[in-house]
Amino acid sequence: MASIHPLLSPYVPSESDPFDEVKAAHLMNRAGFGGTPEEIEHVRKLGPLKAVEWLMDFPDAPAEEEEDGDSPNLHSIAGSPSNFREYARQLVGKSLDEKKQLIQQFMQANRQAVQATIDWWLERMAFGKYPMQEKLTFFWHGHFTTSAKDERSALLMWRQNELWRRYAAGNFEPFVRAVSRDPAMLDYLNNNENRKAHPNENYARELMELFTLGIGNYTEYDIKQAARAFTGWGHDGVDFVYRADQHDEGIKDFFGRSGNFDGDDIITLILQHPACPRFIAGELFKYLAYDDIDPGLATALGQFFYANHYEIRSLLRTILTSRAFYSPQAVGVQIKSPVQLVVGTIRMLGLRMPPGQALEAALNQMGQLPMMPPNVRGWPGGRMWINTSTLFIRYNTGVWLAGGEVPALARVDRKGNDRGLLGPGLARPTDFDPDAAGSPGEVAEAWVKRLIQRPVDADKKRVLADVLADGVNPDSVRKIVQLIVSMPEYQLC
Amino acid sequence: MEKNVSTRRIFLQKGLTLLAVAPTIPTFLDQTVMALNDPYDTKLTQQATGKDGKILVVVQLSGGNDGMSMVIPYGDDVYYQARARISHPAKDILKINGYLGLHPNLTGLKNLYDNGDLAIVQGVGYPNPNRSHFRSMDIWQSAEPERQQPSTGWIGRYFDNTCPGCDPKVGVAIGDALPLAMQGEKVLPLSFERPDSYRYNGRDKADYVKLNQADLQGSAILPPKTVTARNQLDFLHRTAMDAQLSSEEILRLTRNHSSPAPYPANEFGNGLKTIAAMIAGGLPTRVYYVALGGFDTHVGQLGRHDALMKQLSDGLSAFWQDLKQQKNQDRVLAMTFSEFGRRVQENASNGTDHGAAAPMLVMGSSIKQGIVSPHPSLTDLDQGDLKYVVDFRSVYASMLQNWLNTPSKPILGDQYPLLPLVKDA
Repeated sequence: MASIHPLLSPYVPSESDPFDEVKAAHLMNRAGFGGTPEEIEHVRKLGPLKAVEWLMDFPDAPAEEEEDGDSPNLHSIAGSPSNFREYARQLVGKSLDEKKQLIQQFMQANRQAVQATIDWWLERMAFGKYPMQEKLTFFWHGHFTTSAKDERSALLMWRQNELWRRYAAGNFEPFVRAVSRDPAMLDYLNNNENRKAHPNENYARELMELFTLGIGNYTEYDIKQAARAFTGWGHDGVDFVYRADQHDEGIKDFFGRSGNFDGDDIITLILQHPACPRFIAGELFKYLAYDDIDPGLATALGQFFYANHYEIRSLLRTILTSRAFYSPQAVGVQIKSPVQLVVGTIRMLGLRMPPGQALEAALNQMGQLPMMPPNVRGWPGGRMWINTSTLFIRYNTGVWLAGGEVPALARVDRKGNDRGLLGPGLARPTDFDPDAAGSPGEVAEAWVKRLIQRPVDADKKRVLADVLADGVNPDSVRKIVQLIVSMPEYQLC
Repeated sequence: MEKNVSTRRIFLQKGLTLLAVAPTIPTFLDQTVMALNDPYDTKLTQQATGKDGKILVVVQLSGGNDGMSMVIPYGDDVYYQARARISHPAKDILKINGYLGLHPNLTGLKNLYDNGDLAIVQGVGYPNPNRSHFRSMDIWQSAEPERQQPSTGWIGRYFDNTCPGCDPKVGVAIGDALPLAMQGEKVLPLSFERPDSYRYNGRDKADYVKLNQADLQGSAILPPKTVTARNQLDFLHRTAMDAQLSSEEILRLTRNHSSPAPYPANEFGNGLKTIAAMIAGGLPTRVYYVALGGFDTHVGQLGRHDALMKQLSDGLSAFWQDLKQQKNQDRVLAMTFSEFGRRVQENASNGTDHGAAAPMLVMGSSIKQGIVSPHPSLTDLDQGDLKYVVDFRSVYASMLQNWLNTPSKPILGDQYPLLPLVKDA
């Protein structure tokens, strides 16, 4: 493995380049949503290889199949079943007409059910047993984009979310096949309307452009042929259905082969294309390590992924233990996504989960409300997160989470229209109550280490210590924590 | 940065002479000075900033505005046939000529037209129109239809070309996202949702300012996109300083500005009022950007579109009154656009589906009043949609060259024919 590319050979700690707190925190940030001092110390002691195994020790299964069977709480929604399993159970054995009627009834409260699902997911990110599984679930959500907008059913969104969890670190081949049968996806990209007489190319196009190959690796003709192969793949509002009478049984030409291909044949041919492993491995590398991936590195990573039969787990292990992952090009260069920023702050401050409505308003204004990506490309990321407006919202949200004033957040209705400000009447400061012991310099140093987790200018640390000069107490500590989360350095991880 | 902040304040309060003794000011102030000392009409290429220059206000109608219900071809029977349930009776239409009239709710805009302050460009679009909201919006904002994932917009490239490193206030977008149209490589214009929440909320403002300052070696150009820890941090400091420098000023200007103009009490009206306040306050802004949403009228179009037309007309005419009271009407030109028009034939839900070409409105006392291009045929259609007669890049080119006095080819990639929109100086 060491021979595939020098930057992909494992990082080996040495006296001059030890696996220190900065590196341990880096791993926790990228493979999760940031660590507490205890977690970082645990990871540091494990060392870079065992730490990755510890983080990756999660089942290839959705949350509801775990022992405690976790799923979104729909209790408080009037007229709704208490959870999605109950909801799905009511649909079993029903005729198509009965199903439709039940679905219509549930759709009355769909908006609230979507919100409950977002709340549930954010809470799993912050407090779940497997932060890396949630981090990857979030990656796949942005990769195989589907939006809950346009009245897409919360049941389908939750099921899709669980699909990401099942395959988060699984095998990409069955994963793509499952995605292509996922009702929320079929609905979002109009494959439900892809019929023999009128092929709809939307899914076929995005499958290649965004999900597997990347732009430039197929032709418009390939799209048309692939669309024909996916005709008849649809859903009945709950489950995948194959409509044989809508499926085109003719000969299709695809990637130089011809035959009576169906969707699975197209996927097989796509997976044999060298662009596919390279594209997927590159996207994961960019998410976990850094954006400017060198073409040679991407090719090597793709070859490794292909040689390992599309096993995502071994690809993740290679990336997260590599020299590239711990290089200066990777550490501290990523602009935190809004979700990373908010969930990370909750984790690192040890807060209880703040009210979902306020969190969602903040995330929405920062440009990243889970389950509501702007379009099929997902979230653009990087510097696109930052402008003068979002920077204030990021700072003010941080201040609020650290026990300060509630930001003036605009509330939006289901169409995205403005509905005035979310003020103190609807959300309160969090009850963040920090310990306060030590000298001003020590306390400032400790909080910088805890929150920024990388060296910071001495001048800036002095500014923080000066705030504590009149006394280290919960109020003054709260004040410096609010300042730290309002620093440019805190926007990076 | 404190030094810069105070320098900037002095600069704004007392003018230019003090600057000679302040070597640490950010480059953008130098650029601004150059622009101020270099009146726009002496050169073909004007600096894109400076307080007394011309201003373009871009009004985005999001969701796909039904152009045929805004500028109505009431003289064509096909209109009444295709829109049997959602057409407006001829008697209600604000007639411009025997063929064309404005939507009944566009009374304010009709007055502007009658006073010579409104032009209508008909049938604006582009080849192979895309009917996806986001894709077509990207095309309009980037002015690069062939680029699949555009990363800059036409206004952003205008700033990059004419004043890399100038004051970010050169562009101001109302809203929590900076539109692609305003994104450049070198300048990051300002954006904010509302002046009263465009501020830092923490208690300790003085220390917050200290923690957000950095020595950027006098450069106001955005650091390169090559991702290093240094570049990323510089980029964040740059944006933080821009936000900090502008927030108090914008809050002050918008609080101080009062106008008897009857702005409608909605987000669009508030946005225009904020822009008018910034113009009155002398912000060195060249391009303002504001959006009015909700135009995706697939279902029950009549009432919804009528309300939007009223918002548009009432907002723009109040804005115009305000500018006249400020005596800034000669400096400002406003332009509307939408990602597409809508299908000629109404649908089964008393609405209309995504279409193609549509009219653009251009407003200002410096425009040549009138109808700029012929109305597209209502029968010779492209998949049921109006065929474009004017490429939208011709409108942009005319704005850039004839209004903002800058060559359009470097920005648009080609020289598009200019339209007779702006009065000769």
